[in-house]
Amino acid sequence: MNWKNVLYLLRIERKSGRLIRGIKATRYKENVFIAYWPYWAALAIGVIGGYVASVAALTVYSSGSVPTGLKPLNVEALGFFSVLPTLVLGISIVFTLFQQVQVAGKPSSQVEFWLPVTWQEHTLASILANLLGWPAAVVVGLSSGVIVFSAFNGLILQALLTALIMFAAAFLASSITEILRVLQVRFTGAVYKSSGRAAIWVRFVSYILIIAIFYIIYFYVTSGFSSFITGLTAAQSAAWYIPLIWPALVISYVGKGLYLQALLFTALSALLIAGLYYLAVELNTRLGLYEPPAITVQKSGIYEPKTGFLGKLGFSTVEAALIRKDLRAFTRRRELLSIYIFPIILIIVALFGSFSGTSSSTSSSTGVAVSAGIIFLLPASVMGMLLGEILIGEEGQAIWRIYASPISPENLVKSKYFIAILFSIIILALSASIGVVFFHPSVREAIVATVEAFLMVLALSSVSLQVGFKGADFSQTRRARMIRQEWSLVGLIMCAVTGAAVFAPVIIPYGLSLLSGRSSSTLDYAVGVAISAVVSIAISAIVYRINIGSAEELLRKAET
Amino acid sequence: MYTQWAVEIKNVTKRYNEIVAVNNLSLNIGSGEIFGLLGPNGSGKSTTLKMLLGLVTPDKGSVTVLGLDPLKQPVEVKRLVGYVPEAANIYEFLTGIEYLDFIADVYGIPTAEKKQRITEYLKAMQLEGREGDMINSYSDGMKKKISLISAFLHKPKLLLLDEPLNALDPRSARIVKDFLHELKGQGVTTIMSTHVLEIAEAICDRIGIMYQGQLLALGNMDELRKTAMLPGSGLEDVFLKLTGTEDLRAVVEELMK
Repeated sequence: MNWKNVLYLLRIERKSGRLIRGIKATRYKENVFIAYWPYWAALAIGVIGGYVASVAALTVYSSGSVPTGLKPLNVEALGFFSVLPTLVLGISIVFTLFQQVQVAGKPSSQVEFWLPVTWQEHTLASILANLLGWPAAVVVGLSSGVIVFSAFNGLILQALLTALIMFAAAFLASSITEILRVLQVRFTGAVYKSSGRAAIWVRFVSYILIIAIFYIIYFYVTSGFSSFITGLTAAQSAAWYIPLIWPALVISYVGKGLYLQALLFTALSALLIAGLYYLAVELNTRLGLYEPPAITVQKSGIYEPKTGFLGKLGFSTVEAALIRKDLRAFTRRRELLSIYIFPIILIIVALFGSFSGTSSSTSSSTGVAVSAGIIFLLPASVMGMLLGEILIGEEGQAIWRIYASPISPENLVKSKYFIAILFSIIILALSASIGVVFFHPSVREAIVATVEAFLMVLALSSVSLQVGFKGADFSQTRRARMIRQEWSLVGLIMCAVTGAAVFAPVIIPYGLSLLSGRSSSTLDYAVGVAISAVVSIAISAIVYRINIGSAEELLRKAET
Repeated sequence: MYTQWAVEIKNVTKRYNEIVAVNNLSLNIGSGEIFGLLGPNGSGKSTTLKMLLGLVTPDKGSVTVLGLDPLKQPVEVKRLVGYVPEAANIYEFLTGIEYLDFIADVYGIPTAEKKQRITEYLKAMQLEGREGDMINSYSDGMKKKISLISAFLHKPKLLLLDEPLNALDPRSARIVKDFLHELKGQGVTTIMSTHVLEIAEAICDRIGIMYQGQLLALGNMDELRKTAMLPGSGLEDVFLKLTGTEDLRAVVEELMK
């Protein structure tokens, strides 16, 4: 193993993920402090968190009235330390898999395939590169917190061991992701080959399912953190036969003074990590150069141009062509598929929220009403916002095709706006149906909520499209960026303000009627919705005009 | 020689910060002419082509394309022009046929004509059988072919081709060369930038040699030889002499050390 090669590959891989996008810098100079900000931020949070936790613990334990059921400080602390590796493992798998999903649509440079680099070096660099993003920041944050906490409580050796094992757990997670990545490429290839045209839909559904499942796990872990930790502490001792728990068990046994068992699980963990690494190397050696076969969408010789339904809806040929192109993009481009996840997650979270709050109290009935409101309003609105923001930047490097074609600013804005509204309405239909089925609103409530959601979609799509024009990022280094981060934040604020303006005429009278104890009449709702419609249409129309100006500017300033 | 200019470039300058990409360029290209734009990397060829399409705004000077101002009437100019960029960044999530269908719709080609033309081009470029595959599975050469077809599809009056024959197999390159000659007969103007000097010498009516944003020499092969004072020489020698890089022996000797 040439460690220098690993380091060189690692540097390139990580730097490609850090490069400033959206700026055509002819001379790029990296500021080390800014480049590594997640680690500094995690370190600062960890140190502060560790210190605060230490002060809190000392206050509780020195007060003389230690709450019943609380074990001695060192026992409680070591119990907490012992679940951290498993937690890091879970978070790292989720993060590294997300990273893989994000870069999946982008072909790798493959430079390392023809350089004198061995598969061992390549695999190790790939595992470490995956690891050195957010997972490493999580490890840095937790380690610094644990060490600072322990420095005041005489547990420094155990803390250092925990930090080391957390890093090992993150490496383990990254190795698993590397193995899954290689297998996924091979499996995908087999699916493409056998599914033919259906491969597009197989890929579409499976991606959404996989990401949705991981998001649910992630939300479950992070939303109920304390109960998750308590549950995990009890569960992992019993689940010693699961290899992924082994690193955590080392800390657990050290805490209990069972050093022989600790040594055994240290050896087993080391074997596991080495085994997974060699499995990743072996898989890369056999399958690393595998290129999935092409997806054949049409069979040859059956090309028949379609006149198209879009023309009947009043779209010109150019607009219809742009819309069809984007419809295909949002079912085929892997990096765009994640757009569907957020609305789906919102629906799931709202459903979870309502199920957990179905005990018959007033607050829980309000909670259910909030969940119902979320399910009707948020998924479609969020879809409109996200789509609007990325619809310009998603053109990527192929934006020249738009620049070079006889496409007017009106054509561009009309087609992009339509796409944002179309997808949002599909999501609205889905979320409203689920809302009706699970929350049984009255017909009046259902209609008001659906119409309000539609009005939000109209306004938010227009506003976020403006953000998409201003903050478009066409670079595709490592992965398609689509929107600059700062503009994404601006979009969030602008959409929040717009959403509030559209929804205020309905929600304010509703809130006042709740406070005064009288129920709103149909007329109240009708007036509210009418004002809301005027606000939404006015915002949409004004911003639509502004969008045409922005499109004109974009097409004119193609060079930048 | 030419009664009508398809392209008129007058005193055009384009800067990118401190770099002068095109420096006071004046050039007229006749209708039906095949014009070759040569020059080392970074000499301003691609910027010039982009200015003709209105994709780059000149800092100084004016450009007229087929009697239109690309900055004031960009959509009208684009409708008359077929453009192939150097890098074939095309929508890789579409199939070859979907991409060409998209292009045909954007240029407003009637349905029946669209079908006929796409089928003919796919056959000529030997892409039959792969047209239903997603473009991300195509080789660079196949992507170039799709790019070329998309430039020819709407029967443009002016072709702007940036390194059009890069990555093409000999048969396809020959087809493109012959096709450009046929189009010339129909009055279609072609401006192509290339590094392949043999191609420029073989098919271009006139050649312009650019260096550091300026037009060093302009004319047919005989005129270029005269300018370089190299009678009987090939374009390679003329090019190297005019761009001041003819004595490369020292460079090679240095590399051999």
